[in-house]
Amino acid sequence: MSDDTPTPRRIGVFICHCGGNISDYVDVEQVRQAVAGEAEVVTAKTTMFACSDAAQQEMTEAITQDNLDGIVVASCSPKLHLFTFRAMADRAGLNPYRYVQANIREQCSWAHRGEMPAATAKATAIVRAAVARAEASEPLATMRIETQPRALVLGAGVAGLRAALALADMGLTVTIAERAQRPGGWAATFGRTFARDRSGAEMVEELLRRVHEHEHITLFTGAELIEKSGSVGDFTAVLRVANGDTVTLNVGAIVVATGFQDYQPTVGEFGWGLPDVVTLPQYKRMLDAGQGLHRADGRPVKTVTFLYCVGSRQGEEVERPNRYCSRYCCTAACHAGIVSAEQAPGLHQVHLFRDMRTYGKYELLYEEAQRAGAVFLRWDPEEPPVVASDAGGLTVRVKDRLLGGEELEIPTDLLVLVTGMVPRENATLLNALKLPLGGDGFFNEIHPKLRPVETVANGVFIAGTAQGPKTIAESVASSLAAVSKTAALLLKGYVDLEPFVAEVDEERCTWCGKCLDACPYKAIEKVAVAGKEVARIIPALCKGCGGCALPCAENAIDVKGYTDEQVLGMIDALLEEAAE
Amino acid sequence: MATRVNLDLHDELKAFGGKDLDLCYNCGTCTAVCSLADEGSAFPRRIMHLIQVGATERLKHSVEPWLCYYCGDCSAQCPRGANPGEAMMATRRHLISRYDWTGLSRRLYLSNAWNITAVLLVMLSVVGLFAFLHGPVVLDHVALNTFAPVHWIELGDLVMGGVLSFFLLTNAARMATWILGDVGMPAIPISAFVRAIPEFVVNFATQKRWRRCGTAQGEAKQNRRWLTHLILVSGYLTMFVLIVFFLKWFQTDAVYPIYNPQRWIGYYAAAALLYGTVVFAIGRWRKRDEIDKFSAGTDWMFLILLFLTTLTGLLVNFFRLAGWPLATYSVYVLHLAIDAAWLIVQVPFGKWSHFLYRPFALYLVKVRELAEKAAAADAEEAPAAA
Repeated sequence: MSDDTPTPRRIGVFICHCGGNISDYVDVEQVRQAVAGEAEVVTAKTTMFACSDAAQQEMTEAITQDNLDGIVVASCSPKLHLFTFRAMADRAGLNPYRYVQANIREQCSWAHRGEMPAATAKATAIVRAAVARAEASEPLATMRIETQPRALVLGAGVAGLRAALALADMGLTVTIAERAQRPGGWAATFGRTFARDRSGAEMVEELLRRVHEHEHITLFTGAELIEKSGSVGDFTAVLRVANGDTVTLNVGAIVVATGFQDYQPTVGEFGWGLPDVVTLPQYKRMLDAGQGLHRADGRPVKTVTFLYCVGSRQGEEVERPNRYCSRYCCTAACHAGIVSAEQAPGLHQVHLFRDMRTYGKYELLYEEAQRAGAVFLRWDPEEPPVVASDAGGLTVRVKDRLLGGEELEIPTDLLVLVTGMVPRENATLLNALKLPLGGDGFFNEIHPKLRPVETVANGVFIAGTAQGPKTIAESVASSLAAVSKTAALLLKGYVDLEPFVAEVDEERCTWCGKCLDACPYKAIEKVAVAGKEVARIIPALCKGCGGCALPCAENAIDVKGYTDEQVLGMIDALLEEAAE
Repeated sequence: MATRVNLDLHDELKAFGGKDLDLCYNCGTCTAVCSLADEGSAFPRRIMHLIQVGATERLKHSVEPWLCYYCGDCSAQCPRGANPGEAMMATRRHLISRYDWTGLSRRLYLSNAWNITAVLLVMLSVVGLFAFLHGPVVLDHVALNTFAPVHWIELGDLVMGGVLSFFLLTNAARMATWILGDVGMPAIPISAFVRAIPEFVVNFATQKRWRRCGTAQGEAKQNRRWLTHLILVSGYLTMFVLIVFFLKWFQTDAVYPIYNPQRWIGYYAAAALLYGTVVFAIGRWRKRDEIDKFSAGTDWMFLILLFLTTLTGLLVNFFRLAGWPLATYSVYVLHLAIDAAWLIVQVPFGKWSHFLYRPFALYLVKVRELAEKAAAADAEEAPAAA
């Protein structure tokens, strides 16, 4: 609250022309005159480009000369220049959180071309509201947290192992928690993998050898995360390990590399459940075994049919459809086709695909599979293939789009359902991490392009297929991206957090507990202050969402930077303008 | 009726020459660039696809392979290097071997050893026949008709012609049955078979459909090829008529003056045959045009034997004029040996059969067209009656 702030306040307002972007549609001089008359506005100026060096210099001088304790720049969206002007305020010795940006470009001039009087009135209202917010502003400081030079990696698949090694190589102490009894994940179960035929098992073996040798890495198998508390840079993580004991770790960051599950078809789905119908991972194991391909009845396989997109890109025909493409399976099936042709010369192969997504250099594998004699035939999701079995073996019937929908009957010895990736079922982990999932059920990044491995939980990063279907190469790339974000956080030694967090007025608080229930971040604790139970915010955990302020019957909670006084002041300012 | 997929068809067609057809990803560029693809048709894409999906039965009923002249536009433009032109060629070879009920054609196409053995066997038989059955060998002057009496030779011609025609025509009958037995074929009125005859005659004599080919590579080139082929055909037909119908006039010990038609008609035919075979052989040797890039053993055998037949025929004539009896007789035997080998191996069982199958295929297309028209006319009347 601003009770101890001396009144009246000394506010400076700078209105930007934006070189005509604003001033062509808004009469900036009229806006200036309107706000210059406000009681606490000491100085109001217009400027051609507020973001220019000269204008910033002018503003810093005004802050010092006029002894301003709050400023408003009415210009563009804060997305563009909030940090520019906060830094300017800081340089001038003004607390940067007493700077308020009024957006009169995107939200006014650009939207109201050719309506200058109305646009000017709106701009005036926006600036007055900003002034009201600045008047009620208080100096705030970022919170500095010391980070722990330790990381927890969840999952010992190829992504997790690679991340652990990279982090440990940078001097961080790494703990890997693998839920399965055996480390290595999916890649360890694969023989030859695309694109260069390296054995997945050998790759993992090599990673594991290095992990075991590394002095900074501890690997727990049969272990899962059951609890996470603390904040970015300083988490407390509780693992339940193989023998049922718990291990408590203090780590600065967590890398989630928990991988995927292969799609399990439902019985009857494209013949699943019939003899000689297998999924792609099962087929790969048959190939890896190197015992030749045999039917369930022992006869050698002469024709193998691959049916693509099983469990991927589903439509309304299933209850909870997987709408996404698993992106690795087309290439994996083509590669399996190539390996099959090598192992069983003369083997007939039919690949029934929906759309061939052997993107990038994997296109070459598609061509190679064709050269190896694989026949590719496209099917229509409107009329999917039908699988039947009789004494003679399996038959796949598919409508051929290039023969005017004529039905082809493919007798086949083995049917491979090319299944995609689905999210891992991991309720314990989800409960511990409290990470939101995307629509597909995989962990979600903040921004798919610009912040691809960060999550809404600061200090928790995602890597590999936990985030969505990926090839091994892509998994490792994403795991190393998570490594760089983790290392950037932990090696710096500290982290500064924005001060926009909730604050409890301990005098008003009567501890009803509603705020505790409302908080999704576990940022509220019950403490006793002078014999009275009250709520307290743990600033490092608070995201400033304001969820706790709403149910508080005593009105005891405010969010800094967005206090009730500030918001109500802005509303009053806007209404005052409307009343005129 | 579902089409049962037979994936052996691939290997089969690859054996017949369509080595790259697996690479086709069905983009349809071949149809887009083909100047013979009519609007809405999938020529030659459909054939590529039938091969790919192993639609053995559908392929058997298809007439399209005979409507392609291998200008190579499709192969040149194919983004995948799948060589649709060569696949069509391979399909024609495959179809020839399927039309042939004796199974010999298949052997001859798929094995150079069979091909060469067959040719040598026929040649040896002819030489052997002469070794035992030749007439008196007159050495003081050339007396070919004493060494090889023309009425015996004529009889031999007719017997061989009859036997080969039997094989060829029975094969053609199978071809007609299959093509006209394709799904969706309307009932065919007898009149259609008669009314389509001109289509056969015109295309047999002129190969005029070929002239619509090859616009992407320039019409001049295709026209030149068509003309060369036409000259070759004219030489062949001329020689055929001379030998089958006028042998007594043609094979004579009397030496006619140079302006006599007996002389210059024979020389024209020989020149046309030599020119055509040499031009085509050079093309196949240089491999510059799409059609010349891949030559099966049977393609070479066809050209070489035809060339040698013509050459030995000319030599017989020259030795006769020069008055060299022994040279004339021995080259004459060689000439007949090569000719018989060429005819017996190539006519019903090999490449020569395209002489008949191509115009016959166009004839069958016409028959179908006429039948469809008749069916459409009936359909128009029918509702009125109902």
